[in-house]
Amino acid sequence: MRITGTERETGPDGRPVYLLGVEMAQRYRHAVGSSSPFYIGLEQGVLRATRCAGCGASWFPPRRFCEEDLTETEWYDLPGTGTVVAATRVHSPPPFGGIDPPYILASIRLDGVRGGITHRVIGAQTPERGAAVTVKFIDGAPAHPLLAFAFAIEGASP
Amino acid sequence: MTPSADNAALVAGVGMTPFVGFRDDASVRDMVADAARAAVIDAGLSSPSPIDMGVAAYESDHFNRQMSLGQVLSDTVGLTGKPVMRVEGGGATGALAIRTALMALRSGEARSVLVFGGETNGRSVDRATAIEILSLSADFEWETPVFGTFAAPYALMITEHMRRYGTTEEQFAEIAVKNRRMAIDNPLAHRGMSITVEDVRTSAPLSDPYRLFDASLLSDGAAAMLLATEDWARQHSPNFTDRPPVAILASASATDRPRLSDRTDEMFPHFAAKRRAAAHAYREAGIDDPPGQIDLAEVYDSFSGAELQAYEDLGLCPVGQGGPAASEGRFDQGGKVVVNPSGGLMGRGSAVGATGIAQAVEVVSQLRGEIAGARQVPGARIGMTDTHAGVGSLCVVNVFGRLG
Repeated sequence: MRITGTERETGPDGRPVYLLGVEMAQRYRHAVGSSSPFYIGLEQGVLRATRCAGCGASWFPPRRFCEEDLTETEWYDLPGTGTVVAATRVHSPPPFGGIDPPYILASIRLDGVRGGITHRVIGAQTPERGAAVTVKFIDGAPAHPLLAFAFAIEGASP
Repeated sequence: MTPSADNAALVAGVGMTPFVGFRDDASVRDMVADAARAAVIDAGLSSPSPIDMGVAAYESDHFNRQMSLGQVLSDTVGLTGKPVMRVEGGGATGALAIRTALMALRSGEARSVLVFGGETNGRSVDRATAIEILSLSADFEWETPVFGTFAAPYALMITEHMRRYGTTEEQFAEIAVKNRRMAIDNPLAHRGMSITVEDVRTSAPLSDPYRLFDASLLSDGAAAMLLATEDWARQHSPNFTDRPPVAILASASATDRPRLSDRTDEMFPHFAAKRRAAAHAYREAGIDDPPGQIDLAEVYDSFSGAELQAYEDLGLCPVGQGGPAASEGRFDQGGKVVVNPSGGLMGRGSAVGATGIAQAVEVVSQLRGEIAGARQVPGARIGMTDTHAGVGSLCVVNVFGRLG
């Protein structure tokens, strides 16, 4: 933390007021914990989800245990396909960067699992509800590991 | 319906600061002190000493730059020695603090509770820093890395609402116009404006279909409310018999999947938790015809379309009819239910920890008939507040009624 400067101004009632310029920067080691197999899967080009070893209910995003019967979950690979529920064109970059605006963000129902993901769709076209999408892994170091992939509209020209 | 005082908590006093873009003359503790002092004086007390406990409402250490702020604020408002707790529920923080106070009164743990909340969401941080902090409101592990703006999940919801029900951009733009107009006559409002639907539709795009004027304001501000049992009020609040008492008739809260994409297809464009909380609160308050019985509602208009969706989920109009209701001005001044006479988050502004309390301050002032000018809803007897965290992951509905 540091003081970047101080200011004296005239307040609304005419009395002088004093302000501090403060700068703080935080650094973290963020443990993704039980989601680790998902992140490691991204490095291997696969999307993973969890399912209950007891009742078979599946969960994405991954869960540690089944919320129906409390059984611990197990990991499995998803086919990487899905369907658009809704999509929007976003006009500012995400906080970690890595995507130039405008870009397309969609809520995607993933095949092979109960649940879905809100993620980027490649291209300039905003897909309609029901559009089929497939995961694409992107070359190079992503700004955030979650941006190592995006979704492509099936049938769209690359 | 005649509201009953059974099991009710009375509103002994209310107070708030103006909501503004930046207070260069006040810290968050100054603002909370002003709001709390006003609430205690409004109750007719000459000292906070008879008050049993405090509930502090604020959302973010990042915005306020003070951990354990609850204790600092408690000391600032004159409650040192008394129990205090801090309550946090995202955008619903202030309303949840009021609900917590109600629970303390109903349990018998306290006979009077001072609720005070504040936030410096305004320009004490630059825009980039504000956006960075606000991005933590989404799921940090699964959403934050892809959300360029918090407008995005709201935009996804309203996009599906538009497809399913034929809702239009102009319909929710009408709400942005209405709330900013309402704020013009509210001296405590951050920024009232006279704008048109075209102004909204040509403002800077955020996340299609939402634009800058569809979004709410980030403000500095504070608000407070003193709640008490009737016995305590008779004993300590000399103002109790001077004016028609206002009570909390009901309070309810419910939750939904925090991540939008985890929700079912059926409920994707709706606030399921809002429906649940409203149904529970109405049952508790004896309300079976919300638009017929509720006179005014302070609704969480974080985005213009979120107010349109809330009309439906709060049962103020049928599901799918929020769009026509907005374009007909059904919830404008003079309507059967006046929504956001304060100007809402788009006009009065939003200082998160204070917002749900400020909504309640407006409702109580309306029910007492103390609002100057055309903003006063004539003969208002029942009013409610609606707030939510995230995109409706936690919802709180508080219903207030004028007794006698």
